[in-house]
Amino acid sequence: MNWLSLSFAQPFLLWGLLALPVIWWLLRLTPPRPQMETFPPLKILARVIKREETPHKSPWWLTLLRLLLAALVILALADPVLNPRERAASGSPALAIVIDNGWASAADWDERVATAARLIDDARADAQPVVLALTAEEQNQEIGPFDADTALERLNAARPRPVPVNRPAIYGRVAAALEDFPGAAVAILSDGLASTGDEAAFNQLFSGNPGEVLWATPDRLRMTAATDAQNTAEAFEVTATRAAGDAAPRQVVAYASDDKGRRIAETTIAFGPGETRAKGAMRVPFELRNDFVSVGIEGENQAAGLRVLDENTKRRRIGLLSQSEADQAQPLLSPLYYIRRALSPYADLVEPSSAELTEAIPELLARKPAVIVMADIGTLPEAARRSIIDWVNGGGTLVRFAGPRLAAAENDEDLLPVRLRLGERSLGGALSWTEPQSVADFPNNGPFSDLAPPREVVVNRQVLAEPSPDIVERSWANLADGTPLVTGVQRGQGQVVLFHVTPEATWSTLPISGSFVEMLRRIVQLSRNQGTINEANAEGGKALAPYRMISADGLLVPPSPEAEPLANDSPAVTLKNPPGLYGSEEGVVAHNLLRPDAELTPLGRPEAPAPVTAIRYGLDEQQPLKGPLFAAALALLALDSLAVLWLGGRLRRRPKMARTAATLLAVALALGIGGPDMARAQDERAGEADAIEAISKTRIAYVVTGLASLDATSRAGMAGLSQFLADKTALEPGEPAGINIATDELAFYPLIYWPIDPAAPMPSEEAVARIDAYMQSGGTVLFDTRDQYSAGFGADATSPATLRLREILSGLNVPPLEPVPEDHVLTKSFFILPEFPGRYRGSPLWVEASLNAPTRTDRPVRVGDGVTPIMITGNDLAGAWAIDEGGRPLLPTVPNDPLQRLHAFRAGVNIMMYMLTGNYKSDQVHVPILLERLGQ
Amino acid sequence: MAKIGAVSPPVASSDALVRARARAAFLPDLLVEARRVANNVIAGWHGRRKRGIGENFWQFRPYVEGEAVARIDWRRSARDEHLYVRDREWEAAHTVWLWADPSPSMLYRSQLAPTSKEARAMVLILALAELLSRSGERIGWPGVTDPFSARNGAERLAAQLMHAAQQPQRPDLIQVRRFSDVVLAGDFLDPVEETIGWLDQLARRGARAHLIEVADPAEEGFPYFGRTEFTDPESGEKLTAGRAETLAGEYRRLYLARREELSSWCKRLGWSYTVHHTDRPSSQALVAVHLAMSAEAGYAMEGSL
Repeated sequence: MNWLSLSFAQPFLLWGLLALPVIWWLLRLTPPRPQMETFPPLKILARVIKREETPHKSPWWLTLLRLLLAALVILALADPVLNPRERAASGSPALAIVIDNGWASAADWDERVATAARLIDDARADAQPVVLALTAEEQNQEIGPFDADTALERLNAARPRPVPVNRPAIYGRVAAALEDFPGAAVAILSDGLASTGDEAAFNQLFSGNPGEVLWATPDRLRMTAATDAQNTAEAFEVTATRAAGDAAPRQVVAYASDDKGRRIAETTIAFGPGETRAKGAMRVPFELRNDFVSVGIEGENQAAGLRVLDENTKRRRIGLLSQSEADQAQPLLSPLYYIRRALSPYADLVEPSSAELTEAIPELLARKPAVIVMADIGTLPEAARRSIIDWVNGGGTLVRFAGPRLAAAENDEDLLPVRLRLGERSLGGALSWTEPQSVADFPNNGPFSDLAPPREVVVNRQVLAEPSPDIVERSWANLADGTPLVTGVQRGQGQVVLFHVTPEATWSTLPISGSFVEMLRRIVQLSRNQGTINEANAEGGKALAPYRMISADGLLVPPSPEAEPLANDSPAVTLKNPPGLYGSEEGVVAHNLLRPDAELTPLGRPEAPAPVTAIRYGLDEQQPLKGPLFAAALALLALDSLAVLWLGGRLRRRPKMARTAATLLAVALALGIGGPDMARAQDERAGEADAIEAISKTRIAYVVTGLASLDATSRAGMAGLSQFLADKTALEPGEPAGINIATDELAFYPLIYWPIDPAAPMPSEEAVARIDAYMQSGGTVLFDTRDQYSAGFGADATSPATLRLREILSGLNVPPLEPVPEDHVLTKSFFILPEFPGRYRGSPLWVEASLNAPTRTDRPVRVGDGVTPIMITGNDLAGAWAIDEGGRPLLPTVPNDPLQRLHAFRAGVNIMMYMLTGNYKSDQVHVPILLERLGQ
Repeated sequence: MAKIGAVSPPVASSDALVRARARAAFLPDLLVEARRVANNVIAGWHGRRKRGIGENFWQFRPYVEGEAVARIDWRRSARDEHLYVRDREWEAAHTVWLWADPSPSMLYRSQLAPTSKEARAMVLILALAELLSRSGERIGWPGVTDPFSARNGAERLAAQLMHAAQQPQRPDLIQVRRFSDVVLAGDFLDPVEETIGWLDQLARRGARAHLIEVADPAEEGFPYFGRTEFTDPESGEKLTAGRAETLAGEYRRLYLARREELSSWCKRLGWSYTVHHTDRPSSQALVAVHLAMSAEAGYAMEGSL
């Protein structure tokens, strides 16, 4: 469409733009209002301003700004709309909408529905009948014509399907329905992918001579399909295919899920430029790989993005059996050497630990191999033979190689596909007329039918099969003279395969040819791990019930009622056989949407006999621009105001105001355009600066309760105590820190003063838990109920503050408490204090009880380690400490006694010293004695 | 936004009664202020012919019978057998005419100054009146009161002013005689030629004039920015400047040139010209004016003797 899809709801208002020159002229004439100033020396000034200030002209840029403002307002009034909805298909007798709802449409189905809904809306406006057809639905779907409402209902009921589209059939029906409406408009909402029979389908569709063709196709085919999954030796390989039109390099992530939908492996698949097919390998242990039920492409919410796996992709375990342990020095003569080399990339090889068949075979069978390869084993012990036969009947594949032992052994009906003649046949050689034989073309009925025959292989010696009626049927490979080289037969659910040559290169060159690998691999592919069913089982005509289906958006879901059992001869993906797993828990067959060699070819625009209008998919993108334009005009208005202020000199005279305005402008600009700048400051952790500030000085903390007056008092109190400390002691505390216990880091502060006020909100449980942790890790909280004189009298008198304190303490691990005893370190840590008054006097200071500390009469201080984590007082310490900026006390003490305030400060010093030095002071009492002993 | 300058009392200039009432209302305050300033200045004063502490000795003369015994200077008399009387400095009452510009432009006060020009001029004049009358000079206000001598000269002058009718823009200097001093406080913002024109009669009469130019800092500094419309408080004329800040340099030059011209003219006549800014303490101007008057007093005395 046009590059600027802009339209106006009220275009006549744009004539208002013609008024712009008038506005320009007016603006030029109208100067900004001057400031009025009285000025006595006007006569002197008049000599400076010689000329009369004739109509002052606004500066050109201000005029421009205002013109722009006016233009924006006019434009906004005209109600412009960006990306307006184009109205197509008007004036046709009818509208046919053909929507591809195959798997490729699922990803952006909403857009397609929106597009179709717009078309239907337009048809409603024109009262056109609507034919609505979905190409992935059944051919007998009802396609109308409908009226617009019904069509919309049907459209909303339509869902994408996990199957390919069937354009020929549906287009045919649409063409038939349009026969009554010659010249109808046809809207083709395609999924952008070509399918078979497209050209014929389009021809059929356009046969009714539509009046107009609306063609919608996705802008880009972004879908990526998982088209193949192969279990190789090292890794599980996933092949992804993307549409041919998608040429940019891309990376997708493929994942594998188990049967519970858990994602158990992932890999990245990288498409090179122009590549449509790429592989990724999941290098995970094969046990894990065998758990894979589906592989998918991440982010692909369509059916082809998911591929279900069955037994075919699982790595087989192959048991190897041989009786002649070759000389280790001559590995090339080992019977299993070539088998091992051929199979190890494709399967997991299991070899028994002992050569004894009675032990080796049970050991192998215990590993439940899919295939057992027996290299030249003649006779099996009976028990082992029975278990092998059971295993084969249960689905195992037994591959046997001939050799001298087998040639000498008796025939075994069960474990050989054909009856063998005794002895071997030698071709060529000194005593023979015959020439060594080459291999003929593989017969068509065998599993090797599509392999290239190994012309270079010659066979010198083989075991011969007894001719029998079914020998041809059982022959999978023949020599040039028609004698079978490889024979195989179905036994029970398994099969028995015999190579009529040795597995090493003594009888033939087959083991050293490439075909040997191919043939073995094919056999392995045909095999099943134990306990499973295989497709051969379905050959009997038994259809497999749907088990897990792939939904249209690429998820494994239980089967829908529509899904029918998968018949063996219907490999096509249809609505009746949607992609998914068929079978049962016992074993499943994967029915995948795309074949491994499938390609996603973009669909070209068909040649139509009518004008073709391309429309876009998309949700309703029309965007009214009225609001943004008005916002821009408003911003310009703000700029204009600033400019007028600046012109009037009013910003200059008030530098502060100018700075404010400049800051505001800068912030606005930064918010508007400075997005990347914001990311720059990410190195610093949040709150780092605070933390550094908190620990670079000792700071006394107080709890911010949220009550302004209380917090101010606390802050002033801590400031007063800090100042007193700085005056009297070596400690110079930093600024008091008001902390929010719910969010701030508490560990930085030695003491936290917590004034309790019942009016303050109760701290949250988390906050209390943080306080608890702080106390446990060595911090001290000084609770101050400040209710010494308001608590009432009597032993059990409580104030609301005390009740609140009890509430808080109920969430804390509070140790046993006692009032500070006379010989407590607190009483002597700096000043010698008998009590700890604040604004009030009399409330004891409660600390952790030092019950265990022995009281000794010869020591003035009770010994004891640790610092009490909690102190409780009711004396309003902060109130006594609080000072204003001038250092004068803020609140009077009760009674108003300067000495009491001094004592309060001393109490604070003692508490602080006790916090910082712990029980150090209790040791200091020894100093005089020590000095005495030193003779000083 | 507030303006830089304003005309302080919002009085209709035609309403004489209102005007007078306003002036009467603020005169007592100014009087108090003037006394305070005068007291500040008087302590540092020298060379005044005034009885009391620090009075100047003039001569000893022999005691004449009939004089008050108290006037005998016993200390001098003790040195020989005559009795001496200490004569004080010769004192002749001097007439000083005081005048403050009453024009509306004097009502101007900018934000940079604490007071209006008129108030400051009045303070200065009243302070001078106080000083002069304390030292016994005769003070008068042209058109309001004849020269009088009184101890409470400032108070009386203020009382006279309070009851005076509206004063003309320029003083009636007809009464000024030779050898009198005239102290004129005003802004002298009229064109220099006009100012010189009406002051010339003083020069011709041989009076000594002391001009105190009371200037508002905003008038001298011109702190205006941006588009500004200036109004003359006297004539009501308006003038608009597109970008006032660009005019500042030129304006200042003219402003100072006017002052310079007036000042040099005064100097030529032997008059003093004191510039006082209303944001400075008024005592500064008072000291300066008084020094100028004292210096001239000596000169004038020489001339008169």
